Amino acid sequence: MKRFQRLIQLLSFGIFSLLLVWAAYPETREAPVDAFLRIDPIIALTTLIASREFQTGFIWAAIVLISGLFIGRAFCGYVCPMGTTIDLFQSLIYPKSKLRATRAGYEANRGRRSLKYYVLAVVVCAAIGGVSLAFLVAPISLATRFWGLVIYPVTLWIADLGLDLATPLHQYVPDLAYIQISRRVFATNMFIAGFIVFISALAIKGPRFWCSYLCPAGAMIALFSKKPLVYRSVNSSCTECGKCVRNCPMVAIRENPHSTAHRECLLCLRCKELCPENAISFYSHNETLKPEPATLDLTRRAMLLSAVSGLGVASLVGTGWNEPRLLGQERAVTPADLIRPPGAMPEPEFLKLCVRCGLCMKACATNTLQPIWFKAGVEGLFSPSLVPRLAACAVNCAVCGSVCPTGAIRKLPIEEKIQAKIGTAWIDRQNCLVWNRDKKCLVCGEVCPYHAISFQPASGRRNGVPVVHPNRCCGCGWCENKCPVEGAGAIKVSVVGELRLASGSYIEKAKEYGLEFKIADKKFDKLAPDTFESSGIDEGGGIQEKNSSPKQEQLPAGILDE
Amino acid sequence: MSHDESRRKFLKNSLVVSAAMAGASFGLIDPLEAGAEDYPDMSICNGKDAALITRQAVEALGGIKRFVRPGAKVVIKPNMSFARSPETAANTNPLVVREVARMCAEAGASRISIVDNVLNNPADCMKLSKIPEYCKDVPNTHTNYIKNERLFREVSVERGTQFKKMRALSDALDADTLIAVPVGKSHGSAGVSMSMKGMMGLIYDRTSFHNRYDLHESIVDMVTVLKPHLVVIDGTRILSTGGPGGPGEVIPLDLVIASADMVAADAQMVALGKWYGKKLEPKQIKHIRMAAERGLGRIDLDKLNIKKISV
Repeated sequence: MKRFQRLIQLLSFGIFSLLLVWAAYPETREAPVDAFLRIDPIIALTTLIASREFQTGFIWAAIVLISGLFIGRAFCGYVCPMGTTIDLFQSLIYPKSKLRATRAGYEANRGRRSLKYYVLAVVVCAAIGGVSLAFLVAPISLATRFWGLVIYPVTLWIADLGLDLATPLHQYVPDLAYIQISRRVFATNMFIAGFIVFISALAIKGPRFWCSYLCPAGAMIALFSKKPLVYRSVNSSCTECGKCVRNCPMVAIRENPHSTAHRECLLCLRCKELCPENAISFYSHNETLKPEPATLDLTRRAMLLSAVSGLGVASLVGTGWNEPRLLGQERAVTPADLIRPPGAMPEPEFLKLCVRCGLCMKACATNTLQPIWFKAGVEGLFSPSLVPRLAACAVNCAVCGSVCPTGAIRKLPIEEKIQAKIGTAWIDRQNCLVWNRDKKCLVCGEVCPYHAISFQPASGRRNGVPVVHPNRCCGCGWCENKCPVEGAGAIKVSVVGELRLASGSYIEKAKEYGLEFKIADKKFDKLAPDTFESSGIDEGGGIQEKNSSPKQEQLPAGILDE
Repeated sequence: MSHDESRRKFLKNSLVVSAAMAGASFGLIDPLEAGAEDYPDMSICNGKDAALITRQAVEALGGIKRFVRPGAKVVIKPNMSFARSPETAANTNPLVVREVARMCAEAGASRISIVDNVLNNPADCMKLSKIPEYCKDVPNTHTNYIKNERLFREVSVERGTQFKKMRALSDALDADTLIAVPVGKSHGSAGVSMSMKGMMGLIYDRTSFHNRYDLHESIVDMVTVLKPHLVVIDGTRILSTGGPGGPGEVIPLDLVIASADMVAADAQMVALGKWYGKKLEPKQIKHIRMAAERGLGRIDLDKLNIKKISV
């Protein structure tokens, strides 16, 4: 029976992993890569309340909730990838003998059992206050973030390490040397991994500690599972040996083994498997004893405290918390380098919608999207931001928006995305080779896919100096990425001029603002999103201002006069 | 080899050498043209058929067997570091590369490795340059991009003026024969990019050449170690402006240059082409002149024995 559960878990987790792998550029598959995130009830609930907007995608989560009426918390036991992750990690961390509740019996754990409902209350009240805490507690968000931003890059890293260790084999298999894996990096993954390890390690207090006592999504389904259609029933052959009570992984069986807390039962069928008398059935119900009525055991005081805490979190976030931020004001106070992905909603809405699942960052074609720590405040933890020095935003790619489960990043067609300005490059003249060291350098202009940098004569400089044309610069960060100046580089993208539209066309807005995003080059099909057929652009790649081209432009360095 | 045989060989060789020296002193034999096998210093083959002129150019030099022994490990370094199609001239003509690889295979090379450290997206460079596609059926031939650090190892550059050590492709260092098959092209920082500049595709840290060191001296330092045994320059068309990546003016020259002297080959390509709208003297290219001055090859084209063929 346990095998049956494992089989379904494996199947479900297989689909979860496959969808995660498919969340990548190019979007060759029509697969709904965000499917698991859409069925997480807590993601749906917090997003709905915090954003005050209904999305049809929430219906899937509603179906999961309603499934509680029929199959109780089978979702937690069989489908939830977070549950499977915890099952896996807790059995890695602890020997089987340790994986038992420290106190057997439902009654003994009553108090902490209620925790998850209080967590739910905190999350709901914070959402009412306009702050989404889904990123802290939504199980599928946690699991997606962990597998996408920790396990995925770690897997690549291990594969690369394996190739490193296989170096002595190169003399026998020369081609082995040429298998090259491009590694991926994600900031803050120590904390993402640490959190999962921590909640798995809590299993020492009882297996699936997270699911039993903390998970608010589990709490939501439990609310619908008072007495589902499929439930545990015990017939007259029960000798009350107590074996099931001691071994129930969820401690869902009461001291009186005839009685079950259905809201806690994951239908793992372990008790049925263990029962020496075959007294337990989940399908045909002929109980000898009437089960005790199930109660929620919530105290008014604790509930009130939770509600106040939730609103308290929201109020603290709204009034500063770690640094002053006036979101939604005419002039928001945000860090200059908090570059959001193209098509990201205006910052306040973005933070309410983004559940930090990390799918956009996992899928990002270039690895420029990185989870941030406190750059966007406490409420912005693990949200995506571009790090152009690491990689640039690929012009012909809009994968971040297309995988986003909540619309925090809008799904934009390529033509729209190309007009979704995410910032503007500025030149740090103190560091620029041309401005500061009077050297010749054209790199930023040569790599700019939007032709937004030109080289113009400047007094006291032998070579043309780079000038950014803000109305042509989309903020993609190619210049910052390739700037040869060590460290931070001498050209950087800042949020100046970013376009964040909650609705409507970026193309029209760009036109209205007088922006001219032109990529002269034709895109090749089925190639990387930054591979162009560059033809018909003027020499040097950068735009040469007519009639003002400095003489030095005519012959490159390395050619001497006769 | 027995003692007797080697003694006999020594005597024979001594006779040949003394005869040649005697001849040279009387002005009968040009010492540059002489040599036991009497190979030209360079060959230039003109023609429309890229594969044919490549083969003819190498044949005129004494044939590929002069450079590739049976069982040899060969590394061929073309230009394929840009995600550009062959007609843009940012990469070597795949027909030229394939013909060189074929000749190596015919000479019995045990492994022919075609490699370049790519600048654009690796998969797209491989796809658009068409070099892997054209060379995939040549026996024992493998085309790969090189990016990963583990492919390189540190090598000392004893004659280096800018640096004394660099990390170069292990396969190139270990190769029995290193063949440069560059396309003639302009270069925004080095003036032109041919066989010598092209060797930067076999080292790991190219950025330091541009940033830390003097680029021109660095190129010369590098080729004291990564010195190709054979250079075949693709002049079927050259990228006259906008190099190294283009786009720029592409000029068809319908020729291939082959030489065992990288400096001479590069100099010849400069002399035959038109760059940035004008003719240039080889000595105007800083790194080519430096290489000649440091004794790595010859720049005095008028004193070389050059075999010119048209097909």
